[in-house]
Amino acid sequence: MKANSFVSVGSWQEAYKLLKASPKNKILGGGLWLKKGNAQVDTLIDLSRLNLNKIEDKDSFIEIGSMVTQRELEVSPIIKSFAGGVISEAVSKIMGPNFRNIATVGGSIYGKYGFSDLITVLLAFDVELQFYPAKKMSLDEYLKTPGFYDGILTHARIKKGDAKAFFKKVCITSLDYPILNVAISKAKTYKVVVGSRPLVATTLDKTMEYLNNGGTDFKKAAEIAVEELKVGDSMATKGEYRKQLAKVYVERGLEEVNK
Amino acid sequence: MLVKFVLNGVNKEVNVKPGDYLLDTLRSIGVKSVKKGCDGSSCGACTVLVDDKPVLSCSVLTARVNGKHVDTVETIQEEAAKLSEYFSREGADQCGFCNAAFALMVHALKKENPNPSDEEISNYLVGNLCRCTGYKSQQKAVQKYLRGE
Repeated sequence: MKANSFVSVGSWQEAYKLLKASPKNKILGGGLWLKKGNAQVDTLIDLSRLNLNKIEDKDSFIEIGSMVTQRELEVSPIIKSFAGGVISEAVSKIMGPNFRNIATVGGSIYGKYGFSDLITVLLAFDVELQFYPAKKMSLDEYLKTPGFYDGILTHARIKKGDAKAFFKKVCITSLDYPILNVAISKAKTYKVVVGSRPLVATTLDKTMEYLNNGGTDFKKAAEIAVEELKVGDSMATKGEYRKQLAKVYVERGLEEVNK
Repeated sequence: MLVKFVLNGVNKEVNVKPGDYLLDTLRSIGVKSVKKGCDGSSCGACTVLVDDKPVLSCSVLTARVNGKHVDTVETIQEEAAKLSEYFSREGADQCGFCNAAFALMVHALKKENPNPSDEEISNYLVGNLCRCTGYKSQQKAVQKYLRGE
């Protein structure tokens, strides 16, 4: 990566002003993807000093600062005690801890990466994103809106509540990108999410409609899932194989959250 | 830009470009124990400790370690020497390219979790590749080392 300057900002105003000053100025998350992309950046905007490295239990929701690392998320007692620790489990399968000590929650979400395990598992819950200047958006809405929002992602808030959850990452080797990931949660209603299609994660709305209207035949739910799931081919595998995987793991996941 | 950090207990001031990564900076000032393997955040050979946490130095901007402590295998020489005895006993010591990073990972694991299960050891070391062995010998060496066998 080439950059002309690096600024560790002291305030939101400063960060936003810099971001708006040039399309070549970029907010730094962990910086992992910027390196891979061989980016040409004018100013790297570092948010490390803005106190965004906290995970807080706020009664009705869990608030995660955008600079929290994947490793901090993984080992957090607050995250481990939510929904059977499914978020922690999902994150723990991303590369090694020496990678996860760099990758940030904000960087993972903002980039809308197709392969993201974190996005898939978060989408199985009610997650609200907070941007600066003042703007709130659900994770679902953020993913469905084309492009990238031009504010700064500061926090993700997960609505708390008793939920059973399931996560499965399917990959060819343990350090590889997933060829599919599946997350399911069951609280008052179900959420069924498939990611790494290879497109970014999406909820399976027809499957959820079937389940949330009292459907209890999980084989049928998995068939609906396969029918509505939009997949594509990639270097790693064919879309058709992804559908077969989704069928198996949606059914298995539904059984799991009903144990 | 000027970056100040504490390298293996010694204050350092280094002039770097804003887009420079820690791996290249460390090697440029003579710390050759930090290896450049994939240079793409996949192999783990460039692992160092920043404020006691293991990170891939190929993927950490040098500007970001300003004011922090950076430790390489030189800091844990005694521990590394002991670990390498276990490695050689199990036949895990081959070309040696991945060893320094491996030692730092084992050091960090021991600090975080002094009595890890076999699965926890594997999960912690999964991001450190070795192209000589099949990992079994390393796994055994680390298990025995941590259990003091």
